[in-house]
Amino acid sequence: MNKFWKVLLASLLILVFVAPVLFLFIRSVSFGWRFPDVLPDAFSLRGWQAVWSDPQLIRALWTTIGIGTAVVVLNYLLALPAAYALSHHEPRGKAVIETVIMLPIFVPVLAVAMGLHLFMIRIGAADSWIGVVLIHMLPTLPYAVRILKSGFDRLQTDWMWQGRTLGMGPVRTFFGLMLPMMLPSLRSCGILVFVISLSQYVLTAIIGGGRVTTLPILYFPFFSSADEAVTASFTMLFALLPIVFLVLLETALYTYHKWSRTV
Amino acid sequence: MKSWTGLAALLLLTVCSAGEEAADADDLAEQDWEEITAAADGAEIGIYMWGGDEGLNAYIDEVVAPALEESYDITLTRYPMEAPEFLSRLRTEREAGSMDGTADILWINGENFRIAKENELLYGSFADLLPNMDAYVNEDAPYVETDMGIPVEGMQVPWGNVQYAFQFRGDAEPPETMEELFSWAEENPGAFTYPNVSNDTGAGFVRHVMHHVADDPEILETFDEEWLEENGEDVWRILRELQPHLWREGRTYPETLEQQDQLFSSGEVDVTLGFNEYRAESLVDQGTFPEDTQTVGLESGSIASTHYLSMPFNTTEPEAALTAINYFLSPEAQTAKLDPERWGEGHILDLDALSEEENDAIESLSGEEIVPQETILPELDARYVDWIQENWEQEVVQQR
Amino acid sequence: MSSSVKSWLLALPVLLFMAVFAAQGLYRAWLESVQVDGAGLFSAYTELLTGRTFWASFGISVYVSFISAVLSVVIGLWLVRLLHRYFLRDDWKLAVWFPMLIPHFAAAYLTVLFFSPGGWFASVSASAGLDGFPILVNDPLYIGVILTYLWKEIPFVVLMLLPVYQELDWRMEEAARSLGAGAWTRFKTVELPWSGPVLLEVWLILFVFMLGAYEIPVLLGVTYPSMLPVLAFEWFYQAGWSQRPLAQAMMVVLTAISAFTAFLLLYIIQRSRRRWLRGGMRA
Repeated sequence: MNKFWKVLLASLLILVFVAPVLFLFIRSVSFGWRFPDVLPDAFSLRGWQAVWSDPQLIRALWTTIGIGTAVVVLNYLLALPAAYALSHHEPRGKAVIETVIMLPIFVPVLAVAMGLHLFMIRIGAADSWIGVVLIHMLPTLPYAVRILKSGFDRLQTDWMWQGRTLGMGPVRTFFGLMLPMMLPSLRSCGILVFVISLSQYVLTAIIGGGRVTTLPILYFPFFSSADEAVTASFTMLFALLPIVFLVLLETALYTYHKWSRTV
Repeated sequence: MKSWTGLAALLLLTVCSAGEEAADADDLAEQDWEEITAAADGAEIGIYMWGGDEGLNAYIDEVVAPALEESYDITLTRYPMEAPEFLSRLRTEREAGSMDGTADILWINGENFRIAKENELLYGSFADLLPNMDAYVNEDAPYVETDMGIPVEGMQVPWGNVQYAFQFRGDAEPPETMEELFSWAEENPGAFTYPNVSNDTGAGFVRHVMHHVADDPEILETFDEEWLEENGEDVWRILRELQPHLWREGRTYPETLEQQDQLFSSGEVDVTLGFNEYRAESLVDQGTFPEDTQTVGLESGSIASTHYLSMPFNTTEPEAALTAINYFLSPEAQTAKLDPERWGEGHILDLDALSEEENDAIESLSGEEIVPQETILPELDARYVDWIQENWEQEVVQQR
Repeated sequence: MSSSVKSWLLALPVLLFMAVFAAQGLYRAWLESVQVDGAGLFSAYTELLTGRTFWASFGISVYVSFISAVLSVVIGLWLVRLLHRYFLRDDWKLAVWFPMLIPHFAAAYLTVLFFSPGGWFASVSASAGLDGFPILVNDPLYIGVILTYLWKEIPFVVLMLLPVYQELDWRMEEAARSLGAGAWTRFKTVELPWSGPVLLEVWLILFVFMLGAYEIPVLLGVTYPSMLPVLAFEWFYQAGWSQRPLAQAMMVVLTAISAFTAFLLLYIIQRSRRRWLRGGMRA
């Protein structure tokens, strides 16, 4: 591909995939921008003021980031072994395992929410962040397993054998050799899981009972409200949060990467 | 294997913390109001309420919560959640026998009150305990006794009164009766619509059509199966005839009132509607609705709707909840609610019971009357709402 | 320990989690769907399957999910094949993955902002003097829904497919080219054995996800026929909870259909993966 095409393609990608979100930002600071105005003629910070003036916002931000992070960590713990097994072995009944793991993707949330609430009350996890973390595992685990599995698919098993023959134990092989090679997959898995956790409304509302106030709990009632500046500001906030998480994750992964080299 | 032990440990954390037994309505009836407010001191309570209106949230956060904190040392937190969701939650908690409830006050009315009452999700009869109910609310008012045909029995107290009104864009002469509205819609194809009836605003419009068919406000106050059999078809016929003239030729309807408001704001339709005749004011100020928005209460009649405050069966702080609800009914709180800068919706006070200054304060905030008293229509029995929701899609939407 | 037993043990935590949570919830849905007093155990199912509303919704749901999933996979594949060398750089990757950072309901809102008749594109076309901007949101063909799904899911397809293409042995491609194989033959023999299973799997995930997802169709769909989850939501809450058995029955049926489709496809993928690999080696 020559330079011209390359630039054209890159701008097209950015136009289609990134620019809409920037448009949202303009929307959030505009005032009375209506059809058929192509550009806004007045600006106002009202939308953002409405967002910041909510006394529960700061707490909700921390709750959301905290729960999201816990969900990501728990996903790594549960999904890594399963993904490894599905990638490097061909167990009997593999299709059964895979179907069961995919279950939460196609079960409508509303169908299971009430039953899960009952269960959470019985184990004493209703109305608490523990319950919300557990319930967020449901819509995230299938994706975590899939992404990590495709990460393992790329790993050549010879690498691990080399580690083993060099006298590394299985634990050290895993943490020192395999995980660093899985970093790209761990990264995309973490981001996707965080975003899914971030957008859960029904499950959080039913299990957390409003007492666990995550961002969607505050924001959902506003969503699709006629006041577009407020809606746009909140939506921007939702887009920014995963980026904050990405930075946190990168730092954690970078530290781990450095550490694994010293092993 | 580590992860598995972790999960198991979590699952085994089945410590059920059975809180102190909360007093029930009968116990409280034997106490003085002073004893109740004394017991409320220092309590933390929560209210379940829809949270999608800035002004309303500000009213709770900036007016009610600080006042409760100051006068009674009660901390009030808003839990933003819609009625269908918190009622579903309460039902599950009822089933599980969980008496350690999340919220202590509920904001409900009509259909939701019926569900809550039928499923025994409410605390009990408490209206008589409240001094402000006695002092400032006209207890003979029809909405104190029944809510959409359902006997209230003191299980909820009125919080606000609103009227159904239409917002028109532009200076065209807006219609003033249902009949005129139908022909207006015909003359302005695509300019009118109403939300899906799964939404209370949408069902509210159909209720107006029913009043139009009945032509006597009293007929529909109590549920009458026979009337439906004789006149139900007329209601659907009117809606079917209206359908081709609606937005998108009636092929689809806005799913929610908010969606219709967006269509109105962006100019796709020229009408929006809804309970609370003053709701357009703040939306115009925000630049969401156009400057030339005009609110119309139909002369042929406009349904008045009351919404209420209640308590769930499993409140852990009934004394504090009662104290707070009592404050919600005070002239001070009710007057502040009228302020269009914040919420701007109707009060439930008995004007005769108020002092002159209180009356003046209310008058200065109320603004001009949009729906004249004599055109107010009573709310329909809640079972009509079921009938609307069960049949509308089949009788109207699918019949094109 | 045999490899099978070991794999099952490794997958056990996840399986257990699913058994405890997903199955618990589903069991409850099933209970609610059959508890109809005096009307016969399966009356909700009979009512559901004989009603015209359900089948209309079923049709539109399958149509939207199928089209959206196929288009996402095809466009995603095209992008990856075109760009996989550039995607080694993070900035390119980030540009394509960006929509994954946006929750689904926010993406639906973006579609309204851009494509509705009162939206930005309509404004632009009106200022350019063009009349009659097409109706793309809340349209009976669900174009708005499909567009939103494409925007959200193409990045996911790229994410899943990219590793395959970056690990592909391009010497095979060179060899095939020198032997005079056409573009299609090269794709079929060199790439498909590796990307085929992943493509099918991604398609499956997207398809069943869209069948059960509520947020986008509720904002961008039409009143009738609505997609199944929207209908389920309405039945679940309206008319004094009297239609809950019907709503639960629908969700149980939906889950059964999806589970069956998923199992069938996953089984086929597993078998064909071996065959494809062998075929690929032979070429």
